Amino acid sequence: MKKLIFLSIMLAITSIVALSFKAEPAKKKNRVTVVKDSIGSVKAFMSVYKVLMSPRCMNCHPAGDQPLQGDDNHIHTMSVKRGVDGHGVYSMRCSNCHQAENDPGVHLPPGNPKWGLPPANMRMVFQGRTPRELALQLLDPKQNGGRTKAQLIDHMANDGLVGWAWHPGIGRTLPPMTRAAFAAQVRLWIAKGAYAPGAKAK
Amino acid sequence: MITVTVNGQRHDIDADPNMPLLWAIRDILGLTGTKYGCGAAQCGACTVHLNGESIRSCCTKLSRAAGQQIITIEGLSANNNHPLQLAWNEMNVPQCGYCQSGQLMSAAVLLRENPNPTDQDIDDAMSGNICRCGTYQRIRAAIHRAADLAREGAKS
Amino acid sequence: MSDISRRHFIKTTGTAGVALWLGISAKGSTRKVTDVATAKNFNPLILVESNGNITIYNTKPEMGQGTFQSMPAMIAEEFEVSLDQITIKNTNGEKEFGDRQRAGGSSSIRTTYNDMRKIGAAAKAVFISAAAKHWQVDESTCYAENSKVIHKPSNKSLTYGELVEEASKIELPKEPKLKDPKDFKILGKVSKRPDIPLKTSGKAVFGIDVILPDMLYASVERCPVLGGTLKSFDASEALKMPGVEMVVETERIVGKYHFTGVAVVANSYWNALEGRKKLKIQWDTAGHETFNSNEYENNLRKLASQEGVIDKNTGAIDTVKTSPQNTVEAFYETPMIAHHTMEPMNCIAHVQGDKAEVWTSTQVPSSIVGGGSNDVPKLAGFAPENVKLHSMFIGGGFGRRLYPDYVIEALNVAKQVSKPVKVIWSREDTTTQGPFRPMTFSQLSGTFSDDGKLVAFKHKVISPSYQESVRKDFDKTKVDGTMVEGIGEQDYEIPNIKTSYVRADYHVPVAAWRSVTSSTLAFAHECFIDELAVKAGKDPLDFRMELLSQPSDTKRIFQKLRELSGWDEPLPKNKGRGVAQWKFFAGQCAQAVEVSYDPALKTVKIDKVTAVIDLGEVVNPDNVKNQTEGAVVMALTAAIKPGITFKDGKVVESNFYDNPVLRMNEMPVVNVHVLAEGGKIKGVGEPGLPPFAPALANAIFAATGKRIRKMPFDLKIS
Repeated sequence: MKKLIFLSIMLAITSIVALSFKAEPAKKKNRVTVVKDSIGSVKAFMSVYKVLMSPRCMNCHPAGDQPLQGDDNHIHTMSVKRGVDGHGVYSMRCSNCHQAENDPGVHLPPGNPKWGLPPANMRMVFQGRTPRELALQLLDPKQNGGRTKAQLIDHMANDGLVGWAWHPGIGRTLPPMTRAAFAAQVRLWIAKGAYAPGAKAK
Repeated sequence: MITVTVNGQRHDIDADPNMPLLWAIRDILGLTGTKYGCGAAQCGACTVHLNGESIRSCCTKLSRAAGQQIITIEGLSANNNHPLQLAWNEMNVPQCGYCQSGQLMSAAVLLRENPNPTDQDIDDAMSGNICRCGTYQRIRAAIHRAADLAREGAKS
Repeated sequence: MSDISRRHFIKTTGTAGVALWLGISAKGSTRKVTDVATAKNFNPLILVESNGNITIYNTKPEMGQGTFQSMPAMIAEEFEVSLDQITIKNTNGEKEFGDRQRAGGSSSIRTTYNDMRKIGAAAKAVFISAAAKHWQVDESTCYAENSKVIHKPSNKSLTYGELVEEASKIELPKEPKLKDPKDFKILGKVSKRPDIPLKTSGKAVFGIDVILPDMLYASVERCPVLGGTLKSFDASEALKMPGVEMVVETERIVGKYHFTGVAVVANSYWNALEGRKKLKIQWDTAGHETFNSNEYENNLRKLASQEGVIDKNTGAIDTVKTSPQNTVEAFYETPMIAHHTMEPMNCIAHVQGDKAEVWTSTQVPSSIVGGGSNDVPKLAGFAPENVKLHSMFIGGGFGRRLYPDYVIEALNVAKQVSKPVKVIWSREDTTTQGPFRPMTFSQLSGTFSDDGKLVAFKHKVISPSYQESVRKDFDKTKVDGTMVEGIGEQDYEIPNIKTSYVRADYHVPVAAWRSVTSSTLAFAHECFIDELAVKAGKDPLDFRMELLSQPSDTKRIFQKLRELSGWDEPLPKNKGRGVAQWKFFAGQCAQAVEVSYDPALKTVKIDKVTAVIDLGEVVNPDNVKNQTEGAVVMALTAAIKPGITFKDGKVVESNFYDNPVLRMNEMPVVNVHVLAEGGKIKGVGEPGLPPFAPALANAIFAATGKRIRKMPFDLKIS
């Protein structure tokens, strides 16, 4: 009985999500039409979720206003703060230590030209989010920096700072799949209807 | 040859562009007020200003400074009279003094951007600078004092 | 020789016209001076030139503890010169300045206070005599002020500079009259340290800042497995790197240990570091590569069952009846830790033939030019008269720079290089290569009589031996006094006390670390006193005061602390106060720590630290406060941050990212009260450290009921 209620709620919500997807059909002309498939979509998102919750991604999408470090997601030493623009405060700006590329060596600052957190007005928190919460958040232009789904795919597949996660420098574990595989799962998730997992999904 | 402006003076530096700016400043330009502490952007002893931002020169390649404006502790003020330096002197902040160049360079950015910092602002700005002698309480007090001095200076 | 001390009429190159040196003598190693006039070994600490220049020499290296001001201040006070009228110069181990040119053990002021005042007073008396003679007036009508002698009735005056020639003909008084402390203008007052403006403008020159013409730079690869030896190395790739000039073997000697490293010498430090990465080295690590600190700690726990060597045994402790009901037992553990001076180890050495010149930051200038247990010339193969030192400002000592291993190593590099060479240790080198403060484990027990009195107290220390590490001839059958430091010296009146020591074999070089073994033993000792107070059902401070029926420094300090810390004010739930004190060779301090516990976050926050440091006499009270604030920071770091650990023979930690120290955002409020009410003169730099960790742990117990018996501990309470 419980299961049934849960399923129906899920369908109700995903149908809203699917509805919003219809707003951008033009680009899809040349693609093979993928039939909406909530199970396949959710399955793809769960792979995406595992990547997003890996330390290389989550550490700069913290629940609080301080970035995290390490595979144990501890708060960044020296008590670094997000700042309004996501690039730190005062004498603790990200680029004061983080260069355009990784410094060579274990524990030396990793780097990227865009190094930073999401800005204070668009915090895009990963830490502590359930799969469902994160999926809905990623799809919500009010929370995702005004990105369309196509832009969301582009961000995940091509953004340079996102890509750093797969070139994190010596001594840092990689996300659980390649970037290409990750991008494919993002595409699949959205193409199959951008369904959000159920509330109990972990 | 990499051209860098340090404390208002142009220098053409013939060195490996990958050399950390710290060693170029210390060993080539001979400005030894900027210190080596960790080489890993952990301690802040090497803090200098690059276009006004308090970067850690031990992890900044010389090439990043090409064509940019660098200010070191030697260029923070004309005569050791930046409000922070005056406050540091007045309140006997340093012990061994080794970290204090970096502390001052970090505090200078804080004070420029926030003329009336709270204790929390000071924590946020200064936790990247280690003082092993433990002068944190005095640094905190001296930043507040410098904010007062700067305000008095602005009024007069 | 005695003529020199009588006339002090030495022409020195570089001085203006007539120059007058005034000094003090040292008799034997005690350095007790009673007779300035007949001094044999003359230490000229004051130089007055006829152009009015006055120089006062500081024989105690400045490492942040303030000797650059406090040492001259003691002379200047009695000499009637102000600190802005003089030039202060650090001495460089020169023979004429004596063999006590070292800073350690919080000893600079406490061992020289009366001597320094006496030399100042004797100098003043000479100038007053000279002026009186010049004016043909009675000496009693003259007085000195602001480096002048003034004839009171006529108000005429002569500067010390103008009086130099006449003063040089006058004998120093045997027993110069010292000032009444109520007339002090410098001592006991807040005064400016003249090194501070140098340190806020980047002008202070630390050892690492010295630049010499044609200087080369070196970085040394040392065996990552401590104790390993060099088998062979291939420098061919390193030598191909830009700027690399040569690669040489070098030996470092620390205590009884000799280590060999491979130095890459290059035209810049960066090039030396890059070249070092290309070295291919074969080390022989046999016997050391299986060393793990967790296994070693288990070994220490096992050794606790041994009887050990008795340190102190008062009363008749073995006759005290013990039972589980009347006895408390506990075991305390502390880690090995590094010093982490902000200025990494470094030394510039220039060897030409059989002569060596050294520029470095060191706590022991006297050792660098020869003598003592770390005789650098002897260890590096030079005649002592052929080693010249330039002693620079020190970017943190904390005991690490008592060991001149990095100087010996640099000299051994420089012997093979024709130019001056600056050897800089990286932070990783400084973190991984030791020497380290050793861990101490403590087994304690306390027994109460039927009427609730504490009648017996045992403290057994299980640890590696400091003395065994620093000297080859250490007698292993004897107690190592350094490792039981303070535990038999506390003022608590307990009729039966037994302290003992179990030595554990070790192959890691150990070092004194600010407040030496008191930095660990006070934690065990004073936390355990708290446990006994709990057993007795008494307030921890009341319990201690009951053990202090007789007048003592401890009693006096606690009384002041009780008042200043608001000890008797009730605290709300989830807040707690802890107290501790420690009396040891360096001095004495007591602290009260107030914490709050957040049950939601399960974390403890330090609200306030109150420290009372007892000095007897104080030179620069504001500096004492700065030192004590800093001691609390260092103690808090040692209490809550990870120590040094070993895996497979190597130190695991390497830099501040995995061996963190306290930062601004973790700084508690510290209030320091300086007691200077006469009595024994005590030290400043170290005493603020030992009482902090036990006071914090005791406060955490008071707030949460959780008893902490192991350092480091987490402020997150599990």
